Amino acid sequence: MDKTKWIKILIIALLSVITLFIPFDAIGVQVNPVEQRVIAMFVLAALCWILEPFPVWATSILIIVVMLFTISDKAPAALILDDSGAKFGNLLSYKALMATFADPTIMLFLGGFFLAAAATKYQLDFNLARVLLRPFGNNPKYVLLGLMMITALFSMFMSNTATAAMMLAILAPVLALFDKGDKGRIAFALAIPIGANIGGMGTPIGTPPNAIVVKALADAQVPISFAKWMYFAVPYMLVMILIAWFVLIKFFPITKKSMELKIENRFLKTPSAIIVYVTFALTVLLWMTGDLLGLDSNAIAMIPMAVFAITRVITKDDLNKMSWDVLWLVAGGFALGLGIQKTGLAEHLLASIPFASWPALAILIGAALIAIFMSTFMSNTAATSLLAPIMAALGISMGAGLDSFGGMQGLLVAVALSCSLAMSLPISTPPNALAYSTGFVKTKDMAKMGVTVGLIGIIIICGMLLVLGGAGYFDNRKVAEVVPATTTEIVAAPVAAPAEVAPAPAQ
Amino acid sequence: METINIICVDDQSDVLDAVTRDLRSLEQFYRVEGAESAEDCLSLMNEMDERGESVGLVISDHVMPGGNGVELLQKISSNPIFKETRKILLTGQANHADTIRAVNEAHIDNYFEKPWDPEDLLATTKSLLTSFVLDKGFEYKDFLPILDQVVLLSYLKKD
Repeated sequence: MDKTKWIKILIIALLSVITLFIPFDAIGVQVNPVEQRVIAMFVLAALCWILEPFPVWATSILIIVVMLFTISDKAPAALILDDSGAKFGNLLSYKALMATFADPTIMLFLGGFFLAAAATKYQLDFNLARVLLRPFGNNPKYVLLGLMMITALFSMFMSNTATAAMMLAILAPVLALFDKGDKGRIAFALAIPIGANIGGMGTPIGTPPNAIVVKALADAQVPISFAKWMYFAVPYMLVMILIAWFVLIKFFPITKKSMELKIENRFLKTPSAIIVYVTFALTVLLWMTGDLLGLDSNAIAMIPMAVFAITRVITKDDLNKMSWDVLWLVAGGFALGLGIQKTGLAEHLLASIPFASWPALAILIGAALIAIFMSTFMSNTAATSLLAPIMAALGISMGAGLDSFGGMQGLLVAVALSCSLAMSLPISTPPNALAYSTGFVKTKDMAKMGVTVGLIGIIIICGMLLVLGGAGYFDNRKVAEVVPATTTEIVAAPVAAPAEVAPAPAQ
Repeated sequence: METINIICVDDQSDVLDAVTRDLRSLEQFYRVEGAESAEDCLSLMNEMDERGESVGLVISDHVMPGGNGVELLQKISSNPIFKETRKILLTGQANHADTIRAVNEAHIDNYFEKPWDPEDLLATTKSLLTSFVLDKGFEYKDFLPILDQVVLLSYLKKD
C-alpha cells in the first residue's frame, strides 16, 4: 500500500518538475518563469487530485505553501529575481494568497455550515423530511419522487454527503423489506445520491464547485448574487429531478405496491430550537431578497454565525467539528485562480491560442463535457478549481463573443453545474459511494443512470443558458469594461517581461 | 491506507482458530492476530504501535494463566495510546463480580458468552471497527466495503 503511494508522489514530483522546463517559447507560447511555475502548479494540483496520494484538502494547503515560496512577494530572492535584481514576472501578494482562507465566499460557505449544523442538531432536517414526505402518500413511485425532492431541498443548504447519509439512514430499513428481485431497491438507493448531487446545484452554498465559480465571477467584476443563482438553478434542479425520477422508474420499475417510511419524531419547541427555525428562515429569506435590499449575500451568511454563537446553539465543540477541510480545499482552488490571474499567465496563454475564432457554442459544450468528465474521476471541487480559473480567463478574452449564452457568467455556471452532474461511478461523489456501499446498487446500474442523467443534464444546461443569455438574464457588462484595461496591461507585459527574462531558465 | 489490527487473546489455540475463522471475511481490510496470554497481547500491541499501526479491537477471554482478561482490558482502557481501541470480553467463566468490573472499569464495548454465534461476532466486530475508523478520523472510503452501514450513516449525517 505504502509503496504505491510513494510511486504516485514520485510521478507527481517528476511531471511537475518537467513542466518547469518545457520550452513553451518553441511552441509559440510566451511565458515568463513565474508563469511557467504557475503552469507547473496546475500540473501538480491536477495530478495530486487525480492520484490522491494525500487527502484532497492536503493538496490545497500544499499548493498554497509552494506558491508562497515560489511565486509570492515573500519567496526567497534567489527564486524570484534575476542577476540584475529584476523580477522574473508578476509576483503574487502573499497576503492575498493567505487571505484565500478567509475569502468572503469562504465565509458564505461557513455561514451555510452554521445553518446546517444547527438544523441537524435541532433535528429540523429530520422533522422537515417527515412532514414533507407525507403528501407523497404510500405509492412507491411517488414516495421515490418525494425522497428525491426532499434530498435535493436539503442538499441546497447542507453538505451533499450529510444529506445523503441522513436520507439513506431513513431509507435503508424500508429497502430491506423489498423483495430481493424488486428493481425498485436500485431505484430507491440511486434516488438519494442523485437527489443530493442535483440538489447541490440549487444555491451558491449547495456544493463547493458553486462557491468556486461564484468567487471567480466576483473577481472578474461580474458577481452573481445568491438570489440570481437560485432563480435559474432551482428551476433547473426541479426539472432535472423530474427527469431523473422518470428515468429511474423506467430503468428500474418498482414492483412493490405500497410502502411506508416511518420517521418517528416531533418538532422541538425549546427556545433554542425556535431560534434555529427563525434564523434559518430569515437567512434564506434575506439571501433571496438581498438584491432588493442592497445586502451582500456573503455578509448575510455571517448573521447566523453570530446568532448561533451568542445563543449557544452552536458550541465550541460544534464549531471545532465543522468541515474545515472543505473550506481549505476550496481555498486551494482560490489560490490557483489567483495564480493564473495575477501573474498574467491567463492572458498570455489566451493571447497565444486563438479562442476568439472558435464557435461560442462549441466552447460551451466543450467546457461542460470536460467538467463532467474530470469530476467523474476526481473530486468535484478539485475539478472546478482547475477549470474555473481557465474558463474565467477564456471568458474575459472572448468578451461579447459568448453573449449568446450568457457570457462569462453563463460559461462558468455551465462548468459548476456540469461538475455536479458527474455521478456515474461510486468514486464520482461521496453520496454515490454511500449508495453503492448499501449493497443494493451495482456499478453498472449507477453508470447507466449517471451517464443518462449527465448527458440530458448537459443538453438542458446548454439550452437553458442559450435562452437566458438571449433574454439578457446574465449581466456581463462589467467584463466588457474591464477587458480593455486588462488587455493593454497584458499586451504590454509579454513583450517587456519575457524578452529579457525568458532566456534565464535555458542557461 | 491505515493498518488496523484485531487481536484475539485466548490460551486455547482452538478458540483462537475459531475466532480467526469467523473474522476471515475481514482479512482484506483488517489484520487478525492471536495472542496466548495477556502479556503476549500487551507486547504485541506495543509492537504494533511502534510500527505505526493501530489496534482497533481486542477480543479477550477471561480466565487465562498469568493475568485475567478483565485486568488486561482494564490496562488497555487506561492507556491513552489505546483509548479508542474497542474491547470485547469473550468468556464462559466470568462471574457476576468480574462482569461488573469489566463494564465499569475496563469499559468493554461488548460481552460474548461461549459458545458464541459467529455471525453475531462478525457483525459486532464490523460495527465496533466502523466507529473506531471514524473516531480515529481515518479515511473511511478505504474501508467502505466492510463498514457497518447504520453506524457509518449516523456519523456522516452529522457532517
